[in-house]
Amino acid sequence: MSERPVNHARAAEHFLEDKPHLQFHDERLWDMRQKRDAQMHILPEWQELREEASRIKEHTLSRLPEYLEQFEENAKKNGIHVHWARDGAEHNRIVGEILKAHGAHNLIKSKSMVTEECDMRPYLEKQGVRVTETDLGERIQQLDDQLPSHIVVPAVHKLTSDVAKIFAKDYNTDPNIRDPHLLAEAQRQAARPVILGADSGMTGGNFVVAETGTFVVCTNEGNADLSATVPNLHIATIGIERLVPRMADLGVFVRLLSRSALGSPITQYTTHFRGPQKGGEMHVVLVDNGRSARLGMEDFWTSLKCIRCGACMNTCPVYRRSGGLSYGAVYSGPIGAIIDPTFNERKYSTLPYASTLNGSCTNVCPVKINIHEQLYKWRRVLVQHHEMPFVKREIMHMAGKLMGQPKLYRAAIKATEVSLSTMPRFVLYNWLNPWGRHRENPHPVKQTFNDWYRKNRKPGKEGTPEAKK
Amino acid sequence: MKIGLFVPCYIDAFYPEAGIATLELLEKLGQDVEYPLDQTCCGQPMGNSGCNSDAAAAEALFVRNFAKYDKIVMPSGSCTHHVRDNFDAIEQTDEVRHVRENTFELVEFLHDILKVDAFPWAEFNHTVGLHNSCGTLRALRTASMSELGEKPFSKPMDLLGKVRGIRFVTPRRPDECCGFGGTFSVTEEAVSSQMGLDKVRDHHEAGAEYIVSADSSCMMHQQGCAERAGVPIRFIHIAQILNGAAQ
Amino acid sequence: MSARDEILQALRANRPTPENHPLPPVATLGDMDASRERFIASLKILGGDVLEPATPGETLDEAIARRHPDAKIICSNVPEARGTLPVEKIRTPQDAAMIDVTVVRAPFGIAEMGSIFLSEAQLPINSFAHLGQHIVVLLSASELTANMHTAYQQRPEFRSANYGVLMSGPSATADIQGVLIRGAQGVRSLSVWFT
Repeated sequence: MSERPVNHARAAEHFLEDKPHLQFHDERLWDMRQKRDAQMHILPEWQELREEASRIKEHTLSRLPEYLEQFEENAKKNGIHVHWARDGAEHNRIVGEILKAHGAHNLIKSKSMVTEECDMRPYLEKQGVRVTETDLGERIQQLDDQLPSHIVVPAVHKLTSDVAKIFAKDYNTDPNIRDPHLLAEAQRQAARPVILGADSGMTGGNFVVAETGTFVVCTNEGNADLSATVPNLHIATIGIERLVPRMADLGVFVRLLSRSALGSPITQYTTHFRGPQKGGEMHVVLVDNGRSARLGMEDFWTSLKCIRCGACMNTCPVYRRSGGLSYGAVYSGPIGAIIDPTFNERKYSTLPYASTLNGSCTNVCPVKINIHEQLYKWRRVLVQHHEMPFVKREIMHMAGKLMGQPKLYRAAIKATEVSLSTMPRFVLYNWLNPWGRHRENPHPVKQTFNDWYRKNRKPGKEGTPEAKK
Repeated sequence: MKIGLFVPCYIDAFYPEAGIATLELLEKLGQDVEYPLDQTCCGQPMGNSGCNSDAAAAEALFVRNFAKYDKIVMPSGSCTHHVRDNFDAIEQTDEVRHVRENTFELVEFLHDILKVDAFPWAEFNHTVGLHNSCGTLRALRTASMSELGEKPFSKPMDLLGKVRGIRFVTPRRPDECCGFGGTFSVTEEAVSSQMGLDKVRDHHEAGAEYIVSADSSCMMHQQGCAERAGVPIRFIHIAQILNGAAQ
Repeated sequence: MSARDEILQALRANRPTPENHPLPPVATLGDMDASRERFIASLKILGGDVLEPATPGETLDEAIARRHPDAKIICSNVPEARGTLPVEKIRTPQDAAMIDVTVVRAPFGIAEMGSIFLSEAQLPINSFAHLGQHIVVLLSASELTANMHTAYQQRPEFRSANYGVLMSGPSATADIQGVLIRGAQGVRSLSVWFT
């Protein structure tokens, strides 16, 4: 845990300098939020659905061992090989061994946040496996060697011109293409032979049904279906928290997922895998990677309800103006800021502060995770664990002391009134005076309210509450 | 009913007129109001930073100052939110519970407790855009929230609607956060300033001459952003309009 | 200890009290309209379309040729359409990738979403549904279910199919600068022919 904390503020500042990218990013995600609102307004039962989803997930998490065992039993009955991985390294080893056993070297895969968590691609590539992402956004990110900047739209921070440049390098297309249709077509043409030549496929899993041994994958491009049905070997990497008890529960979650994510009623493809296809082999790798420990965190276990829709990112005014990459983590935005510290407290100690605590994330969350309250609680935990920078900690300490001593506090105000042209330290704990970099300071006043009151409502003076008695 | 008035530190130091308007308004409404002179801060900056133990002294002083009142009123949503929802750096005695349960933000106090139905002295011949701070909106719930699709309501609008001559405009993103966020405004100053600038532009483009809010902290930040970027818009606390500001 | 046992043990030690989180009864919420009109409206929102006889008596083969005039290889897995390539020829994904128009029958559709269901029972090979350029789906209006709740509760196919896909319109992406593009990696268009 000796890694340096992510400097979100600096990365965000960098992001803000590029106005065309900033404006597109903000407007695009805000549009997704607006479309989500429109879907909510169509469904009078929206809040009921959220409540239902939340209760199903909380129930499932409280009985997770039983449901996992039930899933395993049913999946095995259906011919699925079930594996368990304590962490990313174990996951990668398992996948690597399965591929080796099949002599597989050409892997196509759909988007999976868990494989990002496990940093699987470099591991497999070292082993001589060529890994190709089949989701367009994810493929763009792979070619650009970047993490996905958003859970659902991985390349949302890029403009058409950026994609044109990336594709020109790898697909030999014209770097000056400005029509996204042409670029999407280039991807389709480039991907087809790779897909048809693949000897193995991977997907993630959005939902896992305990009672039937089914797992569900949702995509818009149909690339998970291609990844799972073209090669005869299908490996699915799934976080252990993805369970629901009953097939019927999927109704609640499928109705919420894409509406919350993109504002479309459903993903174009919602695919249910219950067993291998004819002549094929199917593996499910159930990944813990910190989840079982998180389940024991009283204030934070409900973050495991997350269905990875990204609605909290779309609505987050900070995320929209800083970009997913500024979080320096697999998971960005509000949900990232509450789960990343469970992976590495020091490295991600800054992320719970990348929020104004405005609460919009909590309101859009389809499974009712109290995200902004968890951000608040994380700050307390991080301070208790000494993960706040010393200077800031000291300033808070001094401010706290000062606020308990009215006479000293008044004296401090007086001192700053002498030079009111600069921001008084006691108000904003303004150690490097960053307030004024993009903003004017508040205007000096002739007297504080306290002074005014002493002059105009002095206890005992006529017309004051004291005098009225 | 004896009311204790709390004037947050930034209003005390930079926007005394908002504090004065709050006091005068409550007096006009016939209330018995006192301002304890030894007040400082509610503890929110320390609490929000995670340094909760450092909020203890401020919270203890707050209770010493205000325990004797029936109701505690403050022209600030975020301070009210802190006292009501997060004020736990000190032992939760009966006194502390009394203070937390009887603390009100000005708008909710006027709307829910006093149920004021007229401000005959108030006239404001300007076009305004209302800014609800996230504390008043999503914590105190003084208005409906766009994310929830609930039946529209707004306590501040109910009150402002009783002011003669006032006209309203609605920005494109009425309840997006303005980016103040307490210490966020300095630790993440770049994002904070961008959010503030976007907010004031949104109001300006909607045709607002004034941004009116129940929270001076948001406006202190927004004003700084507007002045730096040259966005011609003015700011006024809701207490000043309801008290009959003649601007 | 195996990874499995270690994970399960940790979960047992760390989980919240199960008694505090009872399983809610199965939810059946929302609009119960299972009409063809609702299905069509939903299908169009997701970029799909209906295919109807342009003139009384127009056959399915004729309608497909009209909608896809440039299609050379039409492969039908339903008796209602002849196509140009017998479905028996489709043995591998490489075979399926040559197809311009794939014709299949869906056992049911979902009115709320305009979704049609396909499983291995309707496909010679599973990738048949995705590798062709376009797909025409036969659907009986009497096999519509109202919404996702009724679908999962009532349709036995979810419990019997090893591979079951709900397709709601064609393949799509908006990953490049937010521009919606129909026909990303899978089919470029999806048409529903009611029978």
